[in-house]
Amino acid sequence: MKCSTNNPAQRRFFVRFVWSMAAYVVLLVVAVLAFVRWHPAGALAYGLAVLPALPILAMLVVIGAYLAEEKDEFIRKMQIEMLLGGTGLTLSVVSVWGFLENFTSVRHMDLLWVYPLFWVCTGISALVVWMRYRS
Amino acid sequence: MKNRLKVLRAERDWSQADLAERLEVSRQSVNAIETGKFDPSLPLAFKLARLFGLPIEEIFFEDSGQ
Repeated sequence: MKCSTNNPAQRRFFVRFVWSMAAYVVLLVVAVLAFVRWHPAGALAYGLAVLPALPILAMLVVIGAYLAEEKDEFIRKMQIEMLLGGTGLTLSVVSVWGFLENFTSVRHMDLLWVYPLFWVCTGISALVVWMRYRS
Repeated sequence: MKNRLKVLRAERDWSQADLAERLEVSRQSVNAIETGKFDPSLPLAFKLARLFGLPIEEIFFEDSGQ
């Protein structure tokens, strides 16, 4: 697996993240096929339903491990600011949307969208942080 | 905090990348410290001081002091 950065912590993060993504795709396919073909019920259904979420949890652990392993304190500060901004923006969007759902007729947002939304918000946050510290 | 990094670096004819390599940090870190956008931790400040052979207070100083 190739990674363009020379930063060892970033290289490890990249590899771990790609493996988590791959595991997510595989486990999602497994869960979908299992439900379509065998219509599992009871504890097995719960187990299979949770299966694709496990690599997503792993990705969050991978992010935490990266922040712990990043030796460049300025890069670590930037990454923390990006993630905090992304988290705050995500919580803001879902909170506002939740009240809109309660009191108006906006469409229901499935909870599955919160994680992709977090990455979109983190991308926006990353842009703001990058603009703030650009040379 | 303000600092004399740019001057000290120029005296030694080091680029930001040269200094970053000696400090084992990214060039962005050196740039952020130099432009006052980021204050380094004490360990990094001591590393800088050792590298330039100067006490920390001759490299960094408070904004109000200038």
